[in-house]
Amino acid sequence: MAYFLELLISGALTGLMYSLVALGFVLIYKSAGVPNLAQGALVMTAGYAVWLVMAWGLNVWIAIPIAAAIMFGFGLVVERLLLRRMVGQPVIMVVMLTLGLEILLRGMVPGILGSTPKPIDLGIDFAPIIIGDVFINRTSLYGGIVALALVGASLLFFRTRTGTKLRAVSDDHVSSWAVGISVERAIGISWGLAGIAAVVAGALWGSSQGVDWTLSALLFPAVAVVILGGVDSVPGVLVGGILVGVLGTVIPGYLDSVAGGSTRDVVTSLIILLTIMVRPFGIFGREDIERI
Amino acid sequence: MTFLRKLALTTALVAGLSAPVAAEDVKFGLLQDFTAVYTFVTGQYNQGQQDYLALVNAEGTLGDGNTVTAIVRDTGNQPQRGIEAYNRAKEEGAILFDFLSTPVSAAILDQAQADKNVVITPAHGRGDASDGTVFPYVFPMLPTYWAQAAALIEHMKETGGLEGKKIAIVHIDSPFGREPGPILEALSKQEGFEFQAFPYASPGNEQSAAWSEVRRYRPDYVLIWGAGGGQAVSVRTAIQNGIRPEQIHSVIWLAETDAANVGPQMKGVKRFEATASGTDHPIIQRIQEKVIDAGKGSGDQANVGNSYYNLGVATMAVAVEAARLGLEEGQPLTGETLKAGFEKIAGFDAEGLMPPVTYTAEDHQGGGAGRVSEWDGEKWVPVSEWKASYPELIRQVIEESAAKYAAEH
Repeated sequence: MAYFLELLISGALTGLMYSLVALGFVLIYKSAGVPNLAQGALVMTAGYAVWLVMAWGLNVWIAIPIAAAIMFGFGLVVERLLLRRMVGQPVIMVVMLTLGLEILLRGMVPGILGSTPKPIDLGIDFAPIIIGDVFINRTSLYGGIVALALVGASLLFFRTRTGTKLRAVSDDHVSSWAVGISVERAIGISWGLAGIAAVVAGALWGSSQGVDWTLSALLFPAVAVVILGGVDSVPGVLVGGILVGVLGTVIPGYLDSVAGGSTRDVVTSLIILLTIMVRPFGIFGREDIERI
Repeated sequence: MTFLRKLALTTALVAGLSAPVAAEDVKFGLLQDFTAVYTFVTGQYNQGQQDYLALVNAEGTLGDGNTVTAIVRDTGNQPQRGIEAYNRAKEEGAILFDFLSTPVSAAILDQAQADKNVVITPAHGRGDASDGTVFPYVFPMLPTYWAQAAALIEHMKETGGLEGKKIAIVHIDSPFGREPGPILEALSKQEGFEFQAFPYASPGNEQSAAWSEVRRYRPDYVLIWGAGGGQAVSVRTAIQNGIRPEQIHSVIWLAETDAANVGPQMKGVKRFEATASGTDHPIIQRIQEKVIDAGKGSGDQANVGNSYYNLGVATMAVAVEAARLGLEEGQPLTGETLKAGFEKIAGFDAEGLMPPVTYTAEDHQGGGAGRVSEWDGEKWVPVSEWKASYPELIRQVIEESAAKYAAEH
């Protein structure tokens, strides 16, 4: 029972850390209506940004807000140089563009800043929290708390004036233009916010494994999270994250040694496939019905 | 034929025979993965290789004005790109190739054998390629993963005993991660220990489920078999699950960068090493003096002497020694004469940077000697002598696997 509980808690916390990656995806989709396949590489780039600022001799807690500002600016630049040119183009081309950006960043950033894993020390104690025979990883615990806080902040943000404009832009670009909302600015802000979310994810995941290209591999579980939770739902990020984390930890915890291989990616793939087949808009996603 | 024409021909023949052989520029194709999977090692490893070749040219190691040139290209760990890079480098005259990528090496192996070009596969590629009778142009050069597993098991035996003990092998879920399986299977029967494998999904960002299970298995020793960022995650998660650092033993892919990522808790963790690390070695000191200080270094000076840098240096030291011996015959250096040069190498240790290696037509691994080192908080400190562990067993596994390959091809 203790083993099951430990897997459950560990999975939920890991899932919340996936939510940090998925949040950027949802922020962009909810605002710009664009599925951002570059979010994994954005997290990796953000991790590199934190490490780079720390390499200037700054404390990690100063480095993180500076990196957040850098990544917000990076998001604005991506919108200005890439996304704005895609206005009026088919969505599939925008998706391909973000995929191209993912591949570009994954090759270019380690190429320039070095491909060996870079350390980020957040000062989190190694010793786990022990309750009975259940060990709880402190990095995952703090990561989970930060994910909850960030998702809460995002929910509040979408209730603000700017957030409402972003939702309007997501609904209909032309109508937004018609009522005087700057669609370009709104999309730029959404990319900037995704950049900030990426910094938090990059710092936390980077502190656990070091910063290198493998951070971009977090895109896969993040995609599962947003598909399950709903691509346009901020609360869905939390629920989807917890479910993906729990299923991806508990099932392998019992099956891996029997199967003789890791089943986590199989579980994640099945979550994606079954969700699309059974409830394509996810648990909390909005179901758009179009009259043909 | 007129007298004058005879005289002219004779003069030309004599001149041709007596003229010194033109100096050769030996070309090595270092066609590696700089942008995809092996990036944790390639930069430093390739830097060591290039810096060593610069030293060779500065010191005239190959003699008679012969030089060596590295053709360096990125394959992105993609076999198709590797094949394209191989063909280009071959056209440019390369006779030795190092892909530092198991899939790329595997894709080119048959072609390189047919072309009679030497492929070195240090610390990657097929372990059974150590059998030179089946793979005449492939040189694993350093201990295979099988030899590494054997060395780590033997170290456990010598330091705490194996009878009745439990070993957990926590590995990346890939053919590389499963590589030690046959050795552990054979040794568990021979030495009376039990073991259990705990796989985790690639690339290893998250391993909590595996380590929760490992903790309940209550192992006496832990083997970690991964690479890159996943290795730091393994060590961290192991310690967070109550595994003592002293219990953790790693494959060769655990280096200074991983120690920096784990932090002070890494102290006591052990790993296999095929070459010494640090700058306190004659070759490394001469590289510092004649290459780095002369402004001819190929990368960040801070990497000089670290584990993967020195590994790169050692691979090229062996390759250049093979070229030197190949050139001794006075013939132009080709893949065939280079292979012959490799098979003349006996007791070569790169001035103490590595254990003495001897290659024969049968053994392309070089004996399979290595040692175990421990992270002391600042550097890797050797805790065993250079030696080959369970060599008969390793050779048996190599020959069985090579025979299987030969039967299928």
